[in-house]
Amino acid sequence: MWNQLDTGFGHWNVFVWLCFFFIVSGFVLWIRSLGRMDYKRSTDQDEIYWSGNEVPDDGAKISVPASSSYWGFRVAMEPLYALLNRFHSGNASDYAGYFVVTVALIGLLVLF
Amino acid sequence: MNWHDHLPAFLVMIPLLGAFLTPFVASWGKLVRNVFFVLFMALTLVVGISLCTATFDGRVLVYVMGGESFSLTLPSGMSYPIRILFEIDGFGSLLILCISIAAFAGALFSINYMDRFSGWKRFMSLYFLMTAGALGMSATGDLFNFFVFVEISSIASFGLIAFWRDKPESLEASFKYMLISQVAAMLLLLAIGSLYGKYNALNMGALASMLRAGTLERISLALIVSVLAFKCGAFPMHTWMPDAYAETPSGVTCLLVTVSQASFYGLIRVCYSIFPALTQGGTVGWILIVLGCMSMFFGVLMAVVQHEIKRLMGYHSISQVGYMLLALGVGLLALGNRNDIAAYGLTAMKGGLFHVMNYSFYKGLLFLCAGALYYATGTRDLDKMGGLARNMPWTAGMFVIAAAAISGLPPFNGFVSKWMIYESSFVVHPLLPALAMITSVLTLASFVKVFQAAFLGPAKEKFVAVREVPYGMLAGMAILTVMTLLLTLFPGWFMGNLFENAARALLDHQGYIRAVMGGI
Repeated sequence: MWNQLDTGFGHWNVFVWLCFFFIVSGFVLWIRSLGRMDYKRSTDQDEIYWSGNEVPDDGAKISVPASSSYWGFRVAMEPLYALLNRFHSGNASDYAGYFVVTVALIGLLVLF
Repeated sequence: MNWHDHLPAFLVMIPLLGAFLTPFVASWGKLVRNVFFVLFMALTLVVGISLCTATFDGRVLVYVMGGESFSLTLPSGMSYPIRILFEIDGFGSLLILCISIAAFAGALFSINYMDRFSGWKRFMSLYFLMTAGALGMSATGDLFNFFVFVEISSIASFGLIAFWRDKPESLEASFKYMLISQVAAMLLLLAIGSLYGKYNALNMGALASMLRAGTLERISLALIVSVLAFKCGAFPMHTWMPDAYAETPSGVTCLLVTVSQASFYGLIRVCYSIFPALTQGGTVGWILIVLGCMSMFFGVLMAVVQHEIKRLMGYHSISQVGYMLLALGVGLLALGNRNDIAAYGLTAMKGGLFHVMNYSFYKGLLFLCAGALYYATGTRDLDKMGGLARNMPWTAGMFVIAAAAISGLPPFNGFVSKWMIYESSFVVHPLLPALAMITSVLTLASFVKVFQAAFLGPAKEKFVAVREVPYGMLAGMAILTVMTLLLTLFPGWFMGNLFENAARALLDHQGYIRAVMGGI
């Protein structure tokens, strides 16, 4: 069968997954249909809630920039990122050095 | 004489002819230039597909240049081949298919994308040359010719990375890559020269039949493995990759992804087909596994914090190369032991080769989507983008498919290949799949960030006039989207006809030698 795969460890069939997604999507749409539809359009009930503040017209003023995403993760990993940033110095001599050192290390490992 | 027999020669001849005809044809107007570009890349694609289907039955295609007969590898009196020789088995044809599809998609995309810029003659010539170099790397059966094709693709890529030569960042990226690449090229030449000095042969099959496990062979192996690992972007030699991928025009980045895969092809070919006596069961396998794990983890860690879209994707490329190195490293550990091959080695190799094809298509597609965003907004900075899904629904849709696939979300193809790598590497050590899964989670996290920052959120005033990119660009992206979806929906067909065949071709070390050396 073109759509299924046996790896020796397990079995994969993409259409089983697609059926699963269609069934779950059906449930999601059913739950959504239970929501109230009697709100008043074009009134405050229809407005975006933004912590009680007025929503600015320009989306640029309320969007979260990509560089602010995962702030907590970056702070938690700060020591590792400091090391990685030092490693990516942008200096071509450093980069050539990393290459030569890696070649030497691989050479030693293969030789002995 | 059947023209079908000469397909291996056409594979490199067509893009090379395109490169040399470009300066004349590009002067005859925009329409002729565009038709010529797409037609030559389409012809290359047709040859690539034909070669791939010709190896479905496990055949190894051999083509000798300039001999009495194109199929005569050993003229009378010769004990090993001396002419330029192409040798294409299931593994080579897999790479040829990936490269020719990505090159065609990148060319279609570039027709509109590059229309705003001058320098078309330069662009097209270098694009053809880079395609010829990458295809030659995957087709050649000769180590020195492999070096020549590596250099052809490298020199073309230096020019294409620095294509926007008025931008200091492009020049810097090209200079850095050129500097380290030339050091690497010298080491590769030194390794090949050493083998030639000792064995008086450059043909891969002939060398494989003669190689002994001596000191010189070990040094040569170490140099070749290091150089090709650098070329495919393995940590800590990856530093050229984010800069180069970020500064290259997007259609070229799509091709550059597969050029790095051609280096990966060389690395695996050397380990499995030429040096199996030195690589099986030990050190080299673990070297590839460690390089793979470092590339996966550190690559994705750097990607998560980027806000320049192509740079972010460049770091993801390093991470994806890590999966392939891990898989083929695990395969090397099993090499030489039938039980280990049956228990986990073959699954690892098939998973790794599946990932090679997946990566070529979804990564190429992601770079094209990034190019489409740059084309429409004039920026690559995610901080400045937002709300573009309304204006660019097709680009947004294709981006979602590629992002879900690279993040390994079921039921996409990326999940299937990663799943096979997890299963097989678990047998070697449970920490390996754990690290690979953490990498996959972080990959998903960073692509959620890209999608949220670029496509979701309220519309920004300065992008109100932004419209979907032209049809040519959408067509380039659509080809890679269709390939990603085909790999998702029919993994069994691809496994049966391509990956299983390619993995068995790699394991059949003697078959690779026999195709050139006959019964010797």
